[in-house]
Amino acid sequence: MDNKRKYVIPGDVVTTGPFRPEQNVTLEGEKIISTAIGISEIYEDSVRVIPLTGKYIPKINDLVIGKVISHTSLSWELDINSCYVGFLPAQDVFGRDFSAHADELATKLKSGDLVAARIANFDRTRDPLVTISDRDLGAIDSGDLVKISPSKVPRLIGKRGSMIQMIEMATNAAVTIGQNGWVVVSCETPEGLLKAKKAIEMINEKAHVANLTDQVKEMLEIKDDET
Amino acid sequence: MGSVSVIDQLKKTQILELLEQGKRIDGRALDEPREITIEINAIPKANGSARVRLGDSEVLCGVKIQPDKPFPDMGDKGIFMCTAELLPLSHSTVETGPPQAPVIELARVVDRGIRESHMVDVSQLVIEKDKSVVGVFADIVVIDYDGNLFDACSYSATAALLTSKTPKWTMVDDTITLVDGEESPLPTTTIPVSVTMGKIGNHIIVDPNGDEWDSMDARITITSDSDGNIVALQKGGSDGFTLEEINQCGDTSVRVGAKIREIIKAAQKGSQ
Amino acid sequence: MGGRDATMVLLDENGIRCDGRKVDETRRIMIKAGGLKNADGSAYIEFGDNKILVGVFGPRDVHPKHMSDTDTGILRVRYHMEPFSVGERKRPAPSRREIEISKVIKEALEPAVMLEKFPRTAVDVFIEVLQADGGTRCAALTAASVALADAGIPMRDMVAAVASGKVADTIILDVNNEEDQAGQADMPVGYMPSLEKITLLQIDGVLTPEEYKKCVQVGVDGCKQVYELQKKALKDKYFGNGGD
Repeated sequence: MDNKRKYVIPGDVVTTGPFRPEQNVTLEGEKIISTAIGISEIYEDSVRVIPLTGKYIPKINDLVIGKVISHTSLSWELDINSCYVGFLPAQDVFGRDFSAHADELATKLKSGDLVAARIANFDRTRDPLVTISDRDLGAIDSGDLVKISPSKVPRLIGKRGSMIQMIEMATNAAVTIGQNGWVVVSCETPEGLLKAKKAIEMINEKAHVANLTDQVKEMLEIKDDET
Repeated sequence: MGSVSVIDQLKKTQILELLEQGKRIDGRALDEPREITIEINAIPKANGSARVRLGDSEVLCGVKIQPDKPFPDMGDKGIFMCTAELLPLSHSTVETGPPQAPVIELARVVDRGIRESHMVDVSQLVIEKDKSVVGVFADIVVIDYDGNLFDACSYSATAALLTSKTPKWTMVDDTITLVDGEESPLPTTTIPVSVTMGKIGNHIIVDPNGDEWDSMDARITITSDSDGNIVALQKGGSDGFTLEEINQCGDTSVRVGAKIREIIKAAQKGSQ
Repeated sequence: MGGRDATMVLLDENGIRCDGRKVDETRRIMIKAGGLKNADGSAYIEFGDNKILVGVFGPRDVHPKHMSDTDTGILRVRYHMEPFSVGERKRPAPSRREIEISKVIKEALEPAVMLEKFPRTAVDVFIEVLQADGGTRCAALTAASVALADAGIPMRDMVAAVASGKVADTIILDVNNEEDQAGQADMPVGYMPSLEKITLLQIDGVLTPEEYKKCVQVGVDGCKQVYELQKKALKDKYFGNGGD
């Protein structure tokens, strides 16, 4: 760990001085204090802490995997692994001119269905609004759902997608990663599926380990000349 | 479980598809329970205790033994009482407040399994007839939930009672007095073991885990004693069993119960 | 808190207490972060013979809705003792003592947690005392702090706690059950080490103004020791071998 990055817990002083406090830090007098368990980073004029735990906090445009938990005649409610429930209006699926005549919503999506969705809007005064109307979004009808900590998602994706691409190529699996920590894995072969799931679980457990990429490579039995 | 948690449809479909091939999502055989670990004397200050893990379900039973008044028409018998509580930290859907019907059912089914087997010999728990008896209280708390609390709670109570030590009391001048240094094992007569089976479609599985529990259409819990007799039974859930299934479950519960009894006995032996 | 028993020797001529400790020594403390599968955060503590488990859920939706706050998340704490945790079996229903302690612990944690960013939600802290032996509220508060951090609830500081007290006219640290029953004073202290603020303080007993000040200082110093163990628990779980 070089000087600019430190392991911190809530209450630890990250630094003092004229820095702008960003995510997961707070200013107490002169001191900038961490409010989370994580890794602190000091930039030229700002400080933040990357958390190692915590629920998913929706951000506009994030891709998430959601589970339908209920519906009214006008909208569905989705569990998106957050402190707030995702709100999917009927118009998003049926079109602008939708008006409820009967219980049509259950014909498209019912309780227990998984969807790939995008956060369309979110401010903390309202539940997050989601949409499934893009090409890469919609109901998920096959694959296995793996749940990881949302704070581990960047590690699973890797620099410019390098980690997840490595897993997909080594196993022939297709992986959809929700920023909320829910990940859908599908594969034609059961062995590929099992390997891909193991790799994902390994990253979830060992995200802080320095040579994680090598360990994952070894587990997937990737020879060096293949990468 | 608390209020209904929604299982994701993909998982439910997977569970059923695998069952059609005679397989389960965690690789177990249809009549195979999960790994059971039993920690005796987890609460040393109680008269007896056992912490049980059944897969990822975790429960703790503490036994308190203390003098009590006998029931009005049972002056020649001690008191045995078994309770169960779902702690709110065991699952996000558990609410605080007075227990709801599913938890009350859990507690009563576990209590009956032990009571009807006559495991605790209450005739040996009298201090003075009609005046003062020994009360044995087995209180179970659920710490983590992953399906099948009936069996997890039953094993914890059985293991705790089997390894409990009771102090000795006498009456001295009409006062209940503790006799120092005269602790003895709680008198028990048999080892009841419950086995819970779930029904998903036409398939019967032993010890459903959390996901299987959420996908079940019906369940049955059958308790047998050391002689292989069936002493208690509870059917639950909103579907029905055929006569053949009921008979099959009876046989399975005695067979699987015998194996689990050995695990409980090994834990008892290990603690001595 | 029973009557004072004059016959028990709480402090001998060598300054050794009834359980073999020196006056400024805490009992054996072990803290573990995590451990529960379903809770969002959890912690387990052994403080002497106290065994306490804490589970945290949240931030999450509040039911019934009228209990939520539109401007900030709310903190709810339930301190609960199992029937088998104490000498004489305790009935499952919440006692007045448990209700008071729940409130006191909640108010000790509120200065530390930052819930303004989660309006209309609640953070639930469930404390379960599995075995009790004097000082449960301090052990519970200490573990609750670790469980909240484990759950990722934003906090401006940890809260560490231990009880100081007085036996045989001497100020001691970490009052056990016998000392609580038969001693002269018992003072649970909860403290935020970075912000240097006391968030839990109660007194049961008789102290002169000088003894009171010394007792508070001994308590605060004890909290700093407890804080090191909270830190260790979180490091062991999250930082593997790479802790600073």
